[in-house]
Amino acid sequence: MFSSGRERAKAPFFWLLFFPALGVMLWLTVYPMFTVFITSFQNYNYITDSRSWIGLGNYMDILSDQVFLTSFLNTLIFCVAATGIEVILGIMLALLFYGDFHGKSLFVILMILPMMLSTMVVSAVWKTLFHYDIGLLNYLLQVVGLPRVGWLIDPKIALTSLILVDIWQWTSFAFIVVQAGLASVPQEIFEASIMDGASYLQTLFRVTLPILRDQILLLILLRTIDTFKIFSKVFALTGGGPGNATETTSYFIYREAFQYFKLGRSSTASMITMVAVSAVSAIYLNRILNTKEV
Amino acid sequence: MLKRNILSILSFLMIVGGLFAQKSVKLVIAGRDGDYGNAMQIAVDAYTAKNPNVSVELLKLSGDDIYQKTVIDLKTGTGTYDLILIDDPKAMQFQKAGWLEDLDGMYRKAGTSVDTDFISTTIDLCRYPNGPKGKLYGLPFVGNVSLFAYRSDLFTKYGLKDPKTWDDVLAAAKKISENEPNVSGVSFRGVKGNPILTAFLPIFWSFGADFLDAKGIPVVNSPEAVSALKYFVELSKYGPKGTPMNNTAQVRDGLLAGAVGIAPEVWPAWLGKLDDPNESKVAGKVKVTKHPAEIKKSSPMIGIWDVAIPVASKNKQAAFDFLNFLTSKETQKLMALKAGLPPSRISVFSDKEILAKYPWYPAIQEALESGVARPRTLYWAEIENTMGGFVQEAIIGNKTPEQALNEANAKLIQIMK
Repeated sequence: MFSSGRERAKAPFFWLLFFPALGVMLWLTVYPMFTVFITSFQNYNYITDSRSWIGLGNYMDILSDQVFLTSFLNTLIFCVAATGIEVILGIMLALLFYGDFHGKSLFVILMILPMMLSTMVVSAVWKTLFHYDIGLLNYLLQVVGLPRVGWLIDPKIALTSLILVDIWQWTSFAFIVVQAGLASVPQEIFEASIMDGASYLQTLFRVTLPILRDQILLLILLRTIDTFKIFSKVFALTGGGPGNATETTSYFIYREAFQYFKLGRSSTASMITMVAVSAVSAIYLNRILNTKEV
Repeated sequence: MLKRNILSILSFLMIVGGLFAQKSVKLVIAGRDGDYGNAMQIAVDAYTAKNPNVSVELLKLSGDDIYQKTVIDLKTGTGTYDLILIDDPKAMQFQKAGWLEDLDGMYRKAGTSVDTDFISTTIDLCRYPNGPKGKLYGLPFVGNVSLFAYRSDLFTKYGLKDPKTWDDVLAAAKKISENEPNVSGVSFRGVKGNPILTAFLPIFWSFGADFLDAKGIPVVNSPEAVSALKYFVELSKYGPKGTPMNNTAQVRDGLLAGAVGIAPEVWPAWLGKLDDPNESKVAGKVKVTKHPAEIKKSSPMIGIWDVAIPVASKNKQAAFDFLNFLTSKETQKLMALKAGLPPSRISVFSDKEILAKYPWYPAIQEALESGVARPRTLYWAEIENTMGGFVQEAIIGNKTPEQALNEANAKLIQIMK
């Protein structure tokens, strides 16, 4: 409609549409973020209302706090492992179920069911399955003669159990995205590569995956952001335990803010987490937006 | 003609309806979920049946949720809630901040005073400063105190005496675990934070340990505390392997299913169905008493919840009326009989009907009278979580008791700074 930004800038109708959106964004995103940024330099107790500037005090405190460091490391492990496995499994499933076959729509509906359930419900079910003494998983292990596993009570295993639940719930999302990407590619391309004598693996790595590159990057971005914020599974399954084995940054922030009402410390932890997520997201976004590389 | 008649009837109804609408009051209560919620619902139903002009919205919230919601609402003075439930160790924050209505004043205005039937240890916790001389900011909704339960049939079977000290308990737990198939010697809540700490406190205190010294400085790594935690770790060896993720449901259900020899921490509201043969496999076989002693006397943990009226409430008078109904003898008895809620009034404990249904109720009264309250500090939520985290680390073997308590103490000093 407009040939240049300059022309667009003159149109009053454009500004009329633009300002409400800008206002809402400033109010709901920029203002809270700015407040959190300011509060992160303060010692602010919400209950007693005491508030004072302490400069980088909170940052020094939190970056040397063993619980926060453990929670940050746990979050990273969870994020990388869950995202990686979900994306790989999603791609494999999409390739496996490429093309039309009888009952495909039923299969897809069944696949996306876990994703549609509330995380709290999913966690409640898994908590029962994981129970050391009465859980189904340990019962099955015992039936086949294997020792019981402390799914949620063994500090070395608890985080893996959380990753398992996330994979169970979200692999279907990866599957749907990749499958939609595959469906939009004309079949002739694959046929052509076969005609040229490419093997299946060659087609996969030289043709299919490069074509799906943007979808896969977007998928990784979305899963990274989501898994980095992991909260409800920790809240419902382990409460951060046993010990600090499943503490995550979101849970740390929640506790500091809404259990202890230390808003300064929770703001600082939020800022650190936000910087970390933004850094990772920026790398992916840069790759997605920068299409010249292909 | 017909049309005009209908119109005049309609307008009459609207005027009458309007008058009633003006008089009707809606109370919003921030209450608890679970057993407390069920009990309060019974009181609400009884009250609204008697007072049709009052409607009550009872929110049934989890322990974490209610704290978070009430702090934010009371701090901002929004006045969403007309009555709130407060866990006693967190009450000080509300009282000190001036968020709660002074009930002494409301009684004075009504020309009455609060009656003396409440068990003194429970109502003293509703005052600030705590004690008979403090100002009254709430009334005890429930006379809750932790108790000690054990299978008297198994004790007889193995020739064990009623446990007088925690050492007796350990010996009994060992004997039962080793000899009785499919029964754990002990079972307690092991989820980190509040649950495991609450299970530990009666041991902690009776071993002579405490949170703060006379100057208010944390001393949770004292020799007494270390020996208490060592004992707790030893005791946990005779519990189910899943203890670190066991909460109320697992301990209670295990006890009712006959899979537990000793439950060193039970709460009255869990035990409503203990002697009901339809619900319990061990009806009549479980003895409920106050806790054993060790170096110090028996030290059950008092865990009452106060009901208070926020200063910002817009329906204070109606809230006050409901509060008095809720804590009256009749309602306390009703809630005890129907929902197993332990009362906070002396007269209800000696009620014949109550004693017929719950023969172990005198143990509650005894435990309440010798009960220990958690320390009064503005930082209880943080202290409880921290301590409850380190205690669990010792139980799962991540840290030695000394290590866990030294680290906990350092953290507590930091928190209270």
